[in-house]
Amino acid sequence: MTRRLSRETLIKWAPLLVLIALVIFFTALNPTFFSLRNFARIAIAAAPALMVAVGVTFIIVMGSIDLSMEGTVSMTAVSFAFIFAQLGGSLGGLGWVAIPLVLVLGGLIGVLNGLVHVKLKIPSFMASLAMGFVGTGAAILLTGGDIVKVSDAAFRGLLTVRWLGFPLMVYIAAFFLFAGWFIQTHTTLGRNFYAVGGGEDLAHASGLNVTRVRVTGFALAGVFYAIAAILVVARIGQAESVTGANFMFVSITSVVVGGVALWGGIGGVWNALVGVLIVNVIDNGMVVIGLPDFLQDGVLGLLVILAVVLSTDRKMVSFVK
Amino acid sequence: MDIQRLKPHLPWITLIVLVAIVGINDPGFLRPSNLLGIAGDIVPLFIMALGLTFAIYIGGIDLSAQSMANMVTVVASVYLASMGAWVAVLCVLAGFLLGMLSGYVTTRLFVPSFISTLAVGGVAFSIAQWLSGQRALNMDATQRNETFGWMIGHTWGVPHELLIAAVLVGICLFIERRTTLGRALKAVGAGELAAAASGLNVARYKILAFAISGALAAIAGLLFAVKLSGGAPTIANGFLLPAIVAVLVGGTPLTGGVGGVVNTVIGTLIVAVIRASMLYFEIDATRQQIVFGFVLIVAIALTIDRAKLRTVK
Repeated sequence: MTRRLSRETLIKWAPLLVLIALVIFFTALNPTFFSLRNFARIAIAAAPALMVAVGVTFIIVMGSIDLSMEGTVSMTAVSFAFIFAQLGGSLGGLGWVAIPLVLVLGGLIGVLNGLVHVKLKIPSFMASLAMGFVGTGAAILLTGGDIVKVSDAAFRGLLTVRWLGFPLMVYIAAFFLFAGWFIQTHTTLGRNFYAVGGGEDLAHASGLNVTRVRVTGFALAGVFYAIAAILVVARIGQAESVTGANFMFVSITSVVVGGVALWGGIGGVWNALVGVLIVNVIDNGMVVIGLPDFLQDGVLGLLVILAVVLSTDRKMVSFVK
Repeated sequence: MDIQRLKPHLPWITLIVLVAIVGINDPGFLRPSNLLGIAGDIVPLFIMALGLTFAIYIGGIDLSAQSMANMVTVVASVYLASMGAWVAVLCVLAGFLLGMLSGYVTTRLFVPSFISTLAVGGVAFSIAQWLSGQRALNMDATQRNETFGWMIGHTWGVPHELLIAAVLVGICLFIERRTTLGRALKAVGAGELAAAASGLNVARYKILAFAISGALAAIAGLLFAVKLSGGAPTIANGFLLPAIVAVLVGGTPLTGGVGGVVNTVIGTLIVAVIRASMLYFEIDATRQQIVFGFVLIVAIALTIDRAKLRTVK
């Protein structure tokens, strides 16, 4: 019995197939690509990006978009470094308090994003872009353009201590990936994201408080950006106003390439994972086979267009802005 | 007088009030030479905003403008030696074609413009890094002065940048007010479905709008490269926010259809005065980005036409 592959099935599995094809492709060109050492390298690079991608996935599932991640990551990274230093600069002492504080800060920035978007009725891409600029500005203001070092050995252990070849930060990212998956599938909030993304009018008519769902979504995304910020600081040992730079392009690309539809309602955190891995495998693979790394942004740009084109049912859309 | 009738006049009232506030506090600000200097300095930003006006006028956005300008500073620096003045043509053409690509992807492939332009911006960034070898480049000073020196000189105290800006404003005003293209863009911005229903080739005009935006971003990059006598893949970073702010505080709403070139002139002057006033009131330059971020939000909230957005996503 052969059944013609339906468009939906193909689209659903295409990102994973692309990922596997890429791994085979790079391994064929250079066998060292397929090694634990290299996979650990990819995982370290991908861990913060994954957190940002999971955060923005919730927003895109709602049919909105969040472009504030660069500002939010910079702002929370810098805040973390300062608070951490203020509380003794050691994870063994009071320093750990900085972590929950910064997660709350990320959530608050997200709430602010959401409120600007829903209360002032500004399209989310512009509201969040503007708030992102404010966040970067605030980070510049806090640091005065300086770099803040975080060199506590216990905290850097997130990078230096390894289990089974992978550093701790990879396991932390995995833990929060599962947390994201849990929120997506096992909570009312998660169902509500899909309800809003699937059809806002319908969700509203069935009595859902769409405004609150949207603001909560942005808050949740903010918390994930803060986790990303902490992981970045752990990875490079410092925070500055450009810590969040380039996260916007990479994370949006990842989520879309992973198969989350920009129109909302389709995809989830697993798509974000596959997307982030595709992007990072391409980044890493290009270096491993000796291609210059400046091609990355261009390749990602073309890839994101391709992904949106493939995931759009053209009969459904009359025009886009 | 209700707020709706006042709205179209808000931009220039804002401008006059701002100038008055700064002028009263610092009379030196109002000296003609000072005003001309401030206006001259803002010209590259203004040209980029002028291009963005077209993208926003039709209800889209062009987030690639900054990367485009970055790329052009590199192109100009690399090819000035071999091409001479023709490098200007190459730059504008590159901007126009990449803009067309954004427009094509947006209209024919149904990718929302903020994603398509972001992606094309990524392509432009890659080209810039590739051409520059990821370094900052310098132009040969004598050659720059021979070829493009006229762009940055002064005549009777008037910076030449202002003359360039005036010419471009003239061209853009002509396109907006006196050509079929201008009317078509207005129709698309006012109501895309209605425009399509009345037989307008909406896609073609939208592609042209993005192409114009790209070409003007390229001119902005070229002028910037000449001013700095060099280029780098990230040299124009920081242009995008004030350029968008300039268009929106000028009164062209994110939803398109109203506003236009003249509004952007006023909007850019508002940005220039805000910048200058921060200097006079000794507000730290590091706060500029926060201020513009909030100004952007206020400007969008005031201008956006919510009747056009059934649901705000």
